[in-house]
Amino acid sequence: MSSIDSPAIVLDAVSKSYGEVRAADEVSISIGRGEFFGLLGPNGAGKTTLIEMIEGLRLPDTGTITVLGMAPAPRNLDLLPRIGVQTQRSAFFTRLTAREHLVTVAALYGLPPATAEKALDLVGLTDSGDVRVTKISGGQRQRLAIASTLVHDPEVVFLDEPTAALDPEARRDLGQMLRNLKAIGKTIVYTTHHLDEAQTLCDRVAILSAGRVLALDSPRELIARSGIGTRLVVPAGRLSPEQAGTLDGVNGVAVEDGMLVLRTAHTARVLAALDGEADLDDVETRPATLEDVYLELIGAPQA
Amino acid sequence: MSAYAALSRAVYKAAVRDATTVFFTFAFPLIFLVIFALIFRNQEVADTGRGYVDYIAPGVLSWGLANAALFGVAFTLMQWRNDDLLRIIRLSPTSIWSVIGSRYVVALGIGAAQCVLFVGVAMLPVFGMRPDPTWPLAIPIMLLAVTAFLALGLIVGSAANTPEAVAAIANCVVVPMAFLSGSFYPLELMPDWLQEVSRVLPMRYVNDGITYAFTGFGTMTDYLVSCAALVAFTAVFAVVGVRTFRWSNDS
Ligand SMILES: Nc1ncnc2c1ncn2[C@@H]1O[C@H](COP(=O)(O)OP(=O)(O)O)[C@@H](O)[C@H]1O
Ligand SMILES: [Mg+2]
Repeated sequence: MSSIDSPAIVLDAVSKSYGEVRAADEVSISIGRGEFFGLLGPNGAGKTTLIEMIEGLRLPDTGTITVLGMAPAPRNLDLLPRIGVQTQRSAFFTRLTAREHLVTVAALYGLPPATAEKALDLVGLTDSGDVRVTKISGGQRQRLAIASTLVHDPEVVFLDEPTAALDPEARRDLGQMLRNLKAIGKTIVYTTHHLDEAQTLCDRVAILSAGRVLALDSPRELIARSGIGTRLVVPAGRLSPEQAGTLDGVNGVAVEDGMLVLRTAHTARVLAALDGEADLDDVETRPATLEDVYLELIGAPQA
Repeated sequence: MSAYAALSRAVYKAAVRDATTVFFTFAFPLIFLVIFALIFRNQEVADTGRGYVDYIAPGVLSWGLANAALFGVAFTLMQWRNDDLLRIIRLSPTSIWSVIGSRYVVALGIGAAQCVLFVGVAMLPVFGMRPDPTWPLAIPIMLLAVTAFLALGLIVGSAANTPEAVAAIANCVVVPMAFLSGSFYPLELMPDWLQEVSRVLPMRYVNDGITYAFTGFGTMTDYLVSCAALVAFTAVFAVVGVRTFRWSNDS
């Protein structure tokens, strides 16, 4: 079962309800080894419930879950050292320094203090090792949390909204760290509200709503299949919406913020046609994004 | 390093690095000692030739031990659950017994340090406490007291989700119990029915046991009854503690 090419995680028709609320509804997903997998969806979609069922912290009502060929629940001592979990809140031992915290976490896995030092180094915190966990800055807290997750060198890493509270720079840092993890072959399952980030990082994503998987594929494939196509944004006054609608290859026309927005699956043809009618300066082409796909599936953006 | 040793160190450091914990654990009982010494200055207990301090000091010490064990454990449990540390432990191969064991050994160490400091200060000439040669009998009682109140602390730590709630619940448990158990005020001076009430309170047995060890007040049988009672209280609290234990706040 634990051969290299068997999937890392298999969910088979997993359902869970809290009273009337369906937090997971017949979810079936298979995640390969070394895959970077994103769980997307609005608040309350069931991302945390799903990820915690995979970690063995919550029990599904029905369906089966397999992680590295094993059942995650009841508490599985063979599996636990092979997975790493970053909790939604940053969990640090009270009044310890960053280094002491990591030494303690390493010891939970029966590993020596040298392992903690390596983890500290991995996330670039060696110089802040003696700072109390309560005193380190936001970005460094995030790194320390990641170091705690990785200290025992797990094969599968779970991160629940790791970038939620980060400023753009820290977010980019973390993105790089996650890419490095993928590069060394870790399987990563993560949730995020940042769809741009998910689009660049994830091999595949599942878009969840009300506990159900609405879409499951690579961002590129989802975008292609959505037929949203590319948007050409033409500055106001260059041509009328009626004129635009007659151009070769245009599928739809809208006026947004005073700009004319043309939708097309054939950017080059539209640009060529447009060239005869209007000045092309400052015409922007915007390929469809994962966010566009997401908004189409989920509906209006959240307030 | 074993998980047990590492957790013990983490708990120990968290305790000694917190001024509030250090104050309430070590200084607070001494303040009570000073207050009672001022109240009962130079009074002797009739027919014994002993000063009041010999009777008051064990009571205050009992309260100090119980208070520190209960608060310490309840705070740690509440905090570790709130900060998701229990979740981290739950997701590692470490057993819950290492967690409880580490907290236990630190509580025992703190209890021993409290006893040494408190008795040492009480024996200074200004207070004039004179322990009997039977004082080593205080050691088993101290261990049992810390154990019983640690188990009680597990219940409080599971019931409370905020530091304020821990403080409120623990104070409601410990302060009345200390008065009703004769820690601050000799039981013999209380109405009979209150003396009977004290029998259902674990602190009474800590008090009785430590008083017997230091002053010989009571009998060896009473002492053994106190030990047995503390074992029984521990068993009851531990059962309830295990049943109320929660790994996280949201399940
Ligand atoms: N412990 C719980 N008790 C009751 N309802 C819960 C619990 N956890 C989650 N839910 C509900 O299940 C749904 C999914 O929640 P969650 O998994 O936290 O979603 P997400 O992480 O996508 O925001 C929500 O409607 C939430 O209110
Ligand atoms: Mg969530």
